[in-house]
Amino acid sequence: MTASHWRQIASVAGLLLAWQVLVQAGRINPLFLPTPLAVLGSMWEMTRSGELPWAVLASLDRVIQGFVYGSLAGVLLGLLAGAIRWVEDLLDPWVAAVYPIPKSALFPLFMLWFGLGNPSKIVTIAVGVLFLVLVNTMTGVHAINPTLLKAARDLGASRPQIFVKVILPGALPNIFTGLRLGAGMALILVFITEIEATKAGLGFLLWEAFQLMDTRHVFVGVVTFGLLGVATTWLLQWLERVTCPWIQRSN
Amino acid sequence: MLLALRDIGKAWHIARTGERVSALEAITLDVTPGEFLILLGPSGCGKSTLLQIMAGLEPPSAGAIDFPAAAGGRGKLTSMVFQDYALFPWRTVLANVAFGPEVRGVPRREREEHARRLIDLVNLRGAEHRYPHELSGGMRQRVALARALANDPQILLFDEPLAALDSQTRRVMQDELLRIWAETGKTFVYVTHSLQEAVLLGTRIVLMTAGPGRIKRVEEVTLPRPRHLTGRAEAAMLDRLDALLGEEVKRAMAS
Repeated sequence: MTASHWRQIASVAGLLLAWQVLVQAGRINPLFLPTPLAVLGSMWEMTRSGELPWAVLASLDRVIQGFVYGSLAGVLLGLLAGAIRWVEDLLDPWVAAVYPIPKSALFPLFMLWFGLGNPSKIVTIAVGVLFLVLVNTMTGVHAINPTLLKAARDLGASRPQIFVKVILPGALPNIFTGLRLGAGMALILVFITEIEATKAGLGFLLWEAFQLMDTRHVFVGVVTFGLLGVATTWLLQWLERVTCPWIQRSN
Repeated sequence: MLLALRDIGKAWHIARTGERVSALEAITLDVTPGEFLILLGPSGCGKSTLLQIMAGLEPPSAGAIDFPAAAGGRGKLTSMVFQDYALFPWRTVLANVAFGPEVRGVPRREREEHARRLIDLVNLRGAEHRYPHELSGGMRQRVALARALANDPQILLFDEPLAALDSQTRRVMQDELLRIWAETGKTFVYVTHSLQEAVLLGTRIVLMTAGPGRIKRVEEVTLPRPRHLTGRAEAAMLDRLDALLGEEVKRAMAS
């Protein structure tokens, strides 16, 4: 434990303590800000009743499906567009047109096309993830040192071999950047899509609590989203360490 | 004759200005088995381009390249050692060296055994499982050399392989290159702009003119080895080449 660690712990503990004391002393209306302990208590109750785990599972189901479809498509299209000129030419105008649109703005359209159930939510998430992963993958392919491609050719690699053995690993660091950004986007979009047309999920739980002015449950939703964000970041960092050991060692 | 260049020319089109820039003109040259052939010239004389043409990585705009059918096809004739090493950062030393045999479909055990023998040859035993960024510049160039040898080419093409190294490491690597050239009996074609390197290493020096690159003179180097830059015969040769190269450097700067 370094001095830096201690300062970080002191920062969190100090703020939580001040918060608890101020609310308990009646300086802040608990309707706006419940105490940390009260939030923790609610979280425990909702976990025991199964309400919270159920909501998390419903949201995770959408997030994981959307993330997996979106990132697979993004990596594949990004590698092809980065490596083959005419694929890039075909994709480029669409990326330029769709990338700047907030993907939440597409959700109403997807509800019209795919119905009010899970598919429209998953598609919204997948599209949001796809563009982030696609753009970063393409950047990664373009960033590969062209001499490496020449060396591979000189050593006798065919074009498919160069694709698998040089372009894919060469772009991997940027692919992971795209995946991290995509995971953040997936959590944003799952919340937005769960405000409407569902009776399950963390976003639904949070939004319903807000409409009932149940601030404690709103906080439970916010904290749980935060925990999910931390967990996905850790998971992706671990995956990057395992698949890209040459980067880990340079740090 | 291993490889014959017949009247090779190379020109680039610069799209922005519509200009046609001639990089190489009328290069006719035979590479003979077992020689240490030096391509010497000022920067920008097209000597690296000529090497790329020999490697088949760049098509010539004019002329023809011949190689005997007995060489077993274009793919096995040459291997290139690049100036900036061009090692795959995500592959260990062993996997870098085994890349050529791997893409040619040699089974894993066989190609790794082969790679280990070459890693021994370039004195890198013990570094098999390191990644390129964990190696010094000199070690990286040894890996690049072992990787190029792994396909068992008849000709090794070197594109200023020692230019990025400090002078001490360069001296050591020059001796290493001579040792490996003698041990393997391969033909080396070696691009450099360093006179000293040319005189220390070569059995034949092709001096090129400033752009467009043409062959200005071909010198046989019969000096005994080991050679020393301070030796009398070496110094005389250096002086002679220095005068010739100096003309070309001036021409390059004037144009």
